[in-house]
Order: sequence, then structure tokens, then C-alpha cells
Amino acid sequence: MRISTLERDLLRESERDPGPSPYEPVGVTPNAPPPRGYIDPDRAKGWIRRAMPIVLAHRWLFGTSLFFAFISLAAQVAIPRVLGSGIDAVISQTDPLIPDRRLAPIVILLLVLGVVRAVLTFVYRFGLYKVAYAIEFDLRSIMFEHLSRMSFSFYDKQQTGQLISRANSDIRSVQMLLAFAPFMAMTLITFFAGFAIMVTIHVGLTLVAISVLPGVYYLGVRMRNVMFPVSWIVQGRQAEVATAVEENVAGVRVVKSFAAEEQEIRKLARAAQRLRWASITTIDNQAKYAPVMENLPRLGMAFVLLYGGWLAIDGQVTIGDIVVFNQYVIMLQAPFRMLGMFLMMSQRAAASAQRIFEILDSESEIVDRPGAVDLVDARGEITFDHVRFGYGDGPDILTDLSFSVRPGETVAIVGRTGSGKSTITRLLDRFYDVRDGAVRIDGTDVRDLTLTSLRHHIAMVSEEPFLFSATVRDNIAYGRPDAPIEDVMAAARAANAHEFIAQLEDGYDSIVGERGYTLSGGQRQRIAIARALLADPTILVLDDATSAIDVRIESEIHAALHELMVERTTIVVAHRLSTISLADRVVLLEGGRVVAEGTHNGLMATEPRYVAVLATVEDGDGGDGVLVEDGLPAGVPGGGG
Amino acid sequence: MGGFGPPPGSPFAGGRMDTGLPFAGVPPELAAKAQAILDTEPEHPEPDISFSHRHGREKRLTLTRFLRPHRLALGWAVALVILETAMVTSGPYLTGLGIDRGIRARDTGALLTIALIFVGTVVAGTYLSKVRIQVSGRLGERLMFELRIKVFSHFQRLSLDFFTREKAGVLMSRMTSDIESLTQLFHQGLINMFVQALTLLIISVILFLTSPLLAVITIGVVVPVMLALTLWFRAASDRGFNLVRDRIALVLADLSENLAGIRIITAHNRRRHNLVHHRNVVGDYTDANNYTAKVGALYGPGAETVSVIGQAIILVVGANLVLDGKLGLGALTAFFLYVTMFFAPIQQLVQLYNVYQQGRAALRKLGDVLDTVPAVPEADDAHDLPPIEGEIRLEGVTFGYDPRIPVLRDIDLVIAPGETVAVVGETGAGKSTIAKLVTRFYDPSAGRVLIDGHDLREVTFTSLRQQIGVVPQEPFLFAGSIRDNITFANPDASDDEIAEACRQIGLDDVVARQADGLDSAVHERGVSLSSGERQLLALTRAFLARPRVLVLDEATSNLDLRSETRIEQALDVLLEGRTAIIIAHRLATAMRADRIAVVHDGHIVEIGSHDELLAAGGRYTRLYETWMAHTN
Repeated sequence: MRISTLERDLLRESERDPGPSPYEPVGVTPNAPPPRGYIDPDRAKGWIRRAMPIVLAHRWLFGTSLFFAFISLAAQVAIPRVLGSGIDAVISQTDPLIPDRRLAPIVILLLVLGVVRAVLTFVYRFGLYKVAYAIEFDLRSIMFEHLSRMSFSFYDKQQTGQLISRANSDIRSVQMLLAFAPFMAMTLITFFAGFAIMVTIHVGLTLVAISVLPGVYYLGVRMRNVMFPVSWIVQGRQAEVATAVEENVAGVRVVKSFAAEEQEIRKLARAAQRLRWASITTIDNQAKYAPVMENLPRLGMAFVLLYGGWLAIDGQVTIGDIVVFNQYVIMLQAPFRMLGMFLMMSQRAAASAQRIFEILDSESEIVDRPGAVDLVDARGEITFDHVRFGYGDGPDILTDLSFSVRPGETVAIVGRTGSGKSTITRLLDRFYDVRDGAVRIDGTDVRDLTLTSLRHHIAMVSEEPFLFSATVRDNIAYGRPDAPIEDVMAAARAANAHEFIAQLEDGYDSIVGERGYTLSGGQRQRIAIARALLADPTILVLDDATSAIDVRIESEIHAALHELMVERTTIVVAHRLSTISLADRVVLLEGGRVVAEGTHNGLMATEPRYVAVLATVEDGDGGDGVLVEDGLPAGVPGGGG
Repeated sequence: MGGFGPPPGSPFAGGRMDTGLPFAGVPPELAAKAQAILDTEPEHPEPDISFSHRHGREKRLTLTRFLRPHRLALGWAVALVILETAMVTSGPYLTGLGIDRGIRARDTGALLTIALIFVGTVVAGTYLSKVRIQVSGRLGERLMFELRIKVFSHFQRLSLDFFTREKAGVLMSRMTSDIESLTQLFHQGLINMFVQALTLLIISVILFLTSPLLAVITIGVVVPVMLALTLWFRAASDRGFNLVRDRIALVLADLSENLAGIRIITAHNRRRHNLVHHRNVVGDYTDANNYTAKVGALYGPGAETVSVIGQAIILVVGANLVLDGKLGLGALTAFFLYVTMFFAPIQQLVQLYNVYQQGRAALRKLGDVLDTVPAVPEADDAHDLPPIEGEIRLEGVTFGYDPRIPVLRDIDLVIAPGETVAVVGETGAGKSTIAKLVTRFYDPSAGRVLIDGHDLREVTFTSLRQQIGVVPQEPFLFAGSIRDNITFANPDASDDEIAEACRQIGLDDVVARQADGLDSAVHERGVSLSSGERQLLALTRAFLARPRVLVLDEATSNLDLRSETRIEQALDVLLEGRTAIIIAHRLATAMRADRIAVVHDGHIVEIGSHDELLAAGGRYTRLYETWMAHTN
């Protein structure tokens, strides 16, 4: 689907604040405002210009901070000069040849400058950091919003772990550059100001004093050129060691079973050797550059003493000037160090920004069409009309699929692995769009319906349900965050989950999911079924949703479902006979199309292909009678246990 | 989710760090430079490892005991540090000297001499600093390397109950973050603390020697304020950074869960809810960041103000001293320069004290691990188990993971060499526990387990486990190639042996389907293989180990249907001529055994062949009938 830039801008504008929708309940009080800035969608612009709206959103705080920073830096440059004149004032009072100068005003000036500078430094630093963190907040929010809008085809191609880790460091490097680039530019001003003051005192001494500074810059660049890649290598090798340990701990039973301890230690030792080499490379490079960089300014001070002292004996400069020069050599090395850092940071930030934009520039393939209408009070009639579909650039999975389901009917979809059963369920919820043909609900093409209203009417349970690290209650009430606990319990009872939930330590308040309680596959499926039932959908899709639940419990769930299914249209993708027997009608899939339809008994009698598919499917179906999950002590790590 | 990060085998392969983030690899823009550095890496020699199950009774790990063997290198580093510090702190003194003896005395020769000495100290200081970094850095890395091996080796010695009790994450952090905080202590901690303390001392002494009065006033005013400010800053910023760390972890966890659960979120119309929630989480994180920003923004200017006030005091008091002729002008100048040098050591010392504390804590935790005695130890006089026939005998065995709650009670069971016995029973009946006793993952609390008449407690672990193969319920695959996983038990297996094993077990066509055959990488606990294929691989691994006794711990549950038949065929090959205990989940598997033992409530209530047990009409018959009812 191609849309014009203007349309896209309008779309983005509306997406930034889609407005309240009855289909998208928000069960949480917002404590943080939406992001104030945005990324310019014009890909032709440079990365800083594209990011500019985010910076400009915070322009007042940013501008004020920079203004104070300027004054503070000016005070910083003035302080050594004042100190120098203090020393000269002391000399003037000891030396009868020089007219006396009063010390008191100089001391007061010094204190005033010191205090003003301190106050302003606090103000500008705090301000600039606040801007940096506000930019980070905006970037993270924008990124999250965009990612949550992407269609499944995007996620099919992404490695999420990589995405997170990169997004994290990339956002940071962009944010730091945006917030601190102007400040760094300003410290260069301090260099020129300090340089100017020095030149007014003595040109030759100035050149001698700053002669070492380019060395500081040059060595800094050289050092970072090596140290940055090395620090990544070190990090990678720390990860290698961590992996070796992680695997060993997770696979401890296998290691012990095969008496492979010594071999494992050798594996770890190899990783540790590699880490040691990388660390020593870091140390050697540090030893090569850091001492020279730190001692160069001291060399400058020695030069100042030598040449300045000679000039002082000659009467061309004062002793106070030597003190001033000494302090400037220290002060002015900072901009030189920063300059190198700034160049490197901007290179990294540019690369990081490209990666961030790459994500933000990818468009969701599944969006509401202009003029899409809400699906209201659906009856639940489903029609697949000559549907052709395949994932990405892949071959067609469904070639010419047509079938329909009447409102309130329960239909089982049967076919061999890879025949496209699950794909059908994904098209129904419009996770993907068809290549040809149409999927209709109550006669309307799903593409002409708003996504939220469509999905509001459909609930889906998949074979491997995903549970969030939240309480059992929150997981069941996922689609209805404000559902009362009675409703949650009723749904759990229907899914035959209430009993085991009640036995968990904190009942419905037990944390489950990745960072919580470990539940068995069957228990997870039952929570997912409860989640779907609580959503009270018009259309219920069970995609092998009871595969890990043992047969006896499954039949109890089915009994409950039977009552609940009367009013709703249900699609069941199943392998087991017991599950299939629940359906009014069976649709047999082969080669991406429907090859037979009818009741289970009818098909068994007339359709040899159906019998053949069931034979492979049913083969080992029994077995899981009563002997489920052995009661191991909880927490034996990983697959070995 | 697909595999994290780069493919295993690439130079940057790695797993999750203890931050919970996967390592994303070197950013592309640095890749070429990183590669150039990696090209200079030499071949590392094969590590020299010797391992014994016996737990040497060593003295508790402490900092002094840890360092003692390396006291020569340490002494060398300390000597370098003392010289280096002397060079660095001499600068202002020499400047002052140059002013008084050279400029004020109008003595060009003296000025030149002093300035050249100054240059000399800079050059010498630079060189000393370089050598010191190399010496102390290398020493630190060597210590860390040894400690890693030591702790990890002890892990290998500890028994299964330890791994059950301790969370995997905790064990990980012993080997990663704890050792890294010790590394920190060695790289920048100990030596640096010494440097800074020495610097403070030298400066104080010079100041006192120059002018006691001025020194007392300066140190009396500046140091307490500075110290108080720095201590406040440490406490506040620690709190702030802990908060930031916790909250960024929440941000990333929320992000990662949203990406992993995106399909459910979309299907349940939860986008806006989660968006608002994520903004709240990021908002909390931003608040924490702003707090640390405020603390940091207060400290820097505060410290500088103290410095300026100190200089003002010196200027006023010092001027009077100079006017009274009690202080040279050069000495006054040196004072200015020394005062500015005074702050860095105080700041650093406070910071390093933290590193020191963390290092000590890490050392204590590592000491605790090293002091843990394996619950299932190898006897001091353990002998090697000679090649066995495979007779297994359980005599009056009682056992419970918690000794108060026995799982098995007074079990007697004899399995003849070459016999296959299946153990069935309901959940929690103790089936798997029998497997764990036979492999000596645990010791019985009463009674004994014998193989060919040898009590398992009297033989060495290695000789025992080399003759017993275990296939667990969920086959664990290590990161690496299929070959690495198959040859896990005997890495020296020839290609022919591997090929033969694959053919026998039926893994050959799985291997053939992979792009790189045997060298194909298995990712992420083997997600690129189906659970059936993974189980076949685990069986091949066991086959290649050629054990006399085989223990299958629910190895045939959790399988998809098509894999089922292939596994059954593989089992026929594998069990041929071996003694086997099959902990069975599916009765179909149990039925193939010579005898079936039915475990109920910690006892073996029935034992016999399938037909005998059916004829007896007991508990097995009921299990069988339930199963049959659901199958048909």
C-alpha cells in the first residue's frame, strides 16, 4: 500500500494521539506525559535535523541552561587571571620598586566569581542533564509506541533481544550527543577566551604553554581508536565466560551424568584465557597512552617555569603570570580532551541514529484503511473467500481457500502439520493481510473494519500461550484490565484453572511468567483459555490450545466450553480426536485449500484422506492419561532437571 | 524469539550478561577496527587443568591469603607507585623553588637546573606510571584467571542439591559480577588507594614543612568540608544510581516482555494500556535520572567553591606571611598549586573505598561458595569402579529431598545385568528419585545402592558415571555444533564412530537436513531442532558414550507424535544388551520393558511383566485401563 508523504504525516499525527477508543481499555493511571517531541519523518534530511523536533520541544530549558553555562565558563576562565593579579599584588607590597596594589578587592572578586560560578554551574548542569533525560524519555516513548504498532510481519524478521539491547545503547548515544554537543562547543569557547587572555600577557609564553595541548588531543584520539573496539571485545568475552557458566549450571545434570567436569573446566578456562588476553590488551593500551596524556600538561608547566622564569627575570612577565599560565595549561587541556571525545561521540551517534530511524521508518503493514468502520454487535459469521496467502516473500501457504462458518457454529480445522491451519486463525484476526481473495466477518471484509473493533470480537488461544510477568489475575484479565475478581474466577473455573491457582502460594495474586512462578504447559494453556473466555468474544479460536492438558481435564474443560460455546462461533485447530469431537463440523485442509467438509462421522465414512490424516495425528495421542509431570523438587535448573 | 546476537563461533558470540541484556556484539562501525585488534591475538596454549572430586580442606579465602603467593609482584608494584607519586607531587614544589631560587634570586642557572629536574620528573613519572599499570594489571588478570578456574572447579564438585537450592542467577553472579568487582579492586582499587593516600600524605608533609600555620589553616578548613561534601555525595549518588539501575532494568524488562508478547497484546487490544504503562515506567526512570543529575550538579560546583575559598584564604593569610617575611613568594605559589591537587585524592579515596567494600563483599561470597562441602562427596578412599556387568541392587533404600519427608521408603529392587525395568506411578510417587539414586546424584538416607556389588559411595564419580548413561526428560543441548553435542561424553570420537552412532539411532537424516551437517550450530537451547530431534540427539550422545547401564528419566514424554515412533526404534537399538531403568510417563514405553515396577507412596507396590501385572489386577491394571480408555 503506497501513501503520500502528506497522508503519512497526517497518519502519524493522528497516531500520536489516537484518542480514546472503547475497544482499547486503559486500566492504568498515566503518571507521565506523552512525549513532547517527535522524529521528523522526512528521510531526506540529515539525522540531526530529523531529531531536531525532540530537541526543540525542550528549547526553553535548553536555551536557559546554555546561557548560564556561557556565563559560568566565562567566570571559570577569569578566575586564574584574578588569582595571578592577587599574587602580583602581594609582590607589589613587598617590592618597593613596584607601586602598591590593594589585595582586598581582588580577594572579594575571587570569592564573588567563585560563588557565581558555582551557582550557575549547578543550574546549567542540572538543566542540561534534565534536557538529556527528557530527550531520552521522548526517544524511548516514541520507540515503544512505534514498536507496539508494528505488524507481525515486522516481528517475524526481527531478533527481539538484539533490538532491545541496541535500542538501549543507541538511544543513549544519540541522547547524549543531542544534549551535550552545544555545551562541548561552548567549552571550545573557554579555550579561545583563555588563549586570548594568555596572548595579552605574552605571545611567546602562550605558544610554549599550549604547545603540549595538541599532543593531548592527538593521543586521546589514538587511544580511543583502540580502546573502544577493545572494550567491546572485552564485553563480548565476558559474555563468553558468562555463557560457559550459564550452560554449565543449566546443564549440570548432563555434565555430571557424563562425568564431563574436567572438560567443562577446560571449556571455561579457554574462555577465561580469551578474556584475559583482551583485558591485558586494554591494560597495555592504557599503559601506552594514559600516562603520557596525563603528564603532558605537567611538561607544559615545566616549560612555563623555564621560559616564563627567564622572561620574569628579564621583567617581561610577572610571577603572578606564571601562576596564571600554570592554571590555564590545566584548564585548557579539558577542551582538547573533549574535542576528541566529541568527534568520536558524533560518529557513534550518527550510526546509532541510523539504526533508530531504520526502526521508526519501517511502516506497519496492517493499518486501518481510510473509512474503516467499527464492527458492532457481530453475529459471528465467518467467510474465507478464495483466499491466497503466504508469509513475507515466501511461497503460498494457502492457495485457494474457501469455507464459511455460521454464527454460533463450532468448526474444527484438521490437516497435517504445515497445512496452514494456524495461518487461518492469524488471517481471521488480521495479523496479516491476504494476497488474494478476502476474509469476511458478517459479510464485511476484515480490511474494511477497524482493527481494534475486529480484535475486540475475537479471542484466540494458541498452543504455546505467552504469560506476562504479572499476577495470575492480571494475566487472565489481560484483555479487560478492570474486570472484577468474581469474573476472573468464573473464567478460571470454566477453564478448569481455579483449582490449581487456588493452590499457588498467593492464589490469584501469584506472579507468573518469565520472572515468576513456573507453570507447566497445561497450566499455562488453562490460564490462556480463561483469558480468552473473560474477554467474552463473539468468535473464539482455539489453536491447539489444549495440547498439553491431559485428556481427563481436557474433557472437563470441553464440558464447560460446550455451555459457553452455544452463543459463539468457535474455530478449533486440533490434533486430538477428543478435541475434534467437540465440533459441529470438520474442515479438512490439504495443499492450502479445503478438500473436504462435513461431520466427523461423515468424513470418517466417506473421506479416505481424512482417515489418513487422523491416523498420523491420532497415533500416539493417548498415553498422557494420568501420568503427568513428575513431582520434582521445584527449581532444578533448566532442561537438565 | 530467534537466536540472540551473532551466531555461535563468531568472535563476538556470547550469552546474556548479568544485566539481563544479551550482548549485541560490536557495533558495525567499530567492527573493522576490532577485527584488526583481534588479528594480533596469539594462539592460546591449551589450559593446564587437573580436576579431582575431592574437596581439599583449604583455609578460608581472605584478601591476605589470596594475595600472599603474589607478594613479590605486589611489592614491586608498590615500589613503583611510591616513586611515581613522588615524581607527580614534586611539580608545585619545583615551581615554587624555581620562583624563589631562580626568578626572585635572578639566577638563570638555578632556574635552568630546576626546570630540567622538573622535566626529568615528568619523564620518569610517565615511565613509572606505564610500568606500574602493566605490572599491577597483569597481576590482577592472573589472579582473576586463577580465581575463575578455582571457583568454577568447585562448582563441578558440588552436588545436585546445591544447584537445586541456589538460583542459577546467583551462581552466575558469583562467576561474573563478583569476580568482576574483584577485578575492579585490583585494577583500580588497591594500588590506586595507595597512590591517593600517599599523595595526600606527601602534600600534607610538604605543606607543613613550607609553612605550618598556613598548612593548618588550609587543611583545617578545606579537608573537613571537602570530606563531608564527598561523603554526602557518595551516599546520595549511590542511592541515585541504585535507583537508576533498578528502574532501567524495569524499563528493559517491560520492553522485552512487550516485544515477546506482541501477538497477545495486539490480539487483546492492549496497546494503549501497555503504552501508558510503559510511559509510567520510563517516567519513573527519568525521575531517578533527574535525581542523580541534581546530586552530581551540586557536588562538582560545591567542591570547586571549597577550592576557591581555600585559595582566597591562602591569598589573605599567605600575603601577610610573605609581608612579614615568614614565607617565600615561590612557596606561596606552590601552596596554590598544591591546594588544587588536594581534592582529587579525597574524591578518589572515597570512591575507591566503595570499590574496596564491594571487593570485600565479593570475596566473602566467593569464600562461602568455596567453603561449601558437597552433600554427595567422593570418599577419600574411593576406588575406581571396575568394568561392570550391570547388576543394580537397591537394599532397604529410604530417601527424601527434605529428610523429614521421605519420598522413597525402604525400597528393595534387584535388576539383573541386561534387564530393562520400567518404573511407573503417579505424579510425585518418587519414580524419578530412583533414577537419581542409581546415578548417585543423591545418597540414600538409609540403605544402600550397589552396582555389581559395589556400594556407590565407595567408588569414584568418574568411573561410575562413565559406565552409566542418563537421558533426561528435556534433552539439554549446549551452545555449539551438533557434533559438539553428540561427542559431549567423549570428545575424541572419530568421524566414523559419530556417523555410526547417528545411523544407529536414526539421527542421520536430521543431520543431513541441516545446512552444515554435523557442524550446524544448535541455537538457544536448540530451538532450531524440534523436541523429538533434540531427544534423538540426546540418545545419540548416550549411545556414543557406550554405558553399561542406561537410565531414561521420562525421556519419551513431551514428544510430538511423529517423533514418537522414531524414538521407540532408537530405544530398541540403545537398550540392546544393556541394563536399563526407564522412568516412564507413557505406558506405551513401559510396556516394552522386561519388568515393570509400580511405585506408589514411596513403595514399590507391584513388580512383574506387563502380562503378569494385568493378570494380578492391581494398581497397574487400573492405570492401564484409564490409559486405554483415553486412547480409544
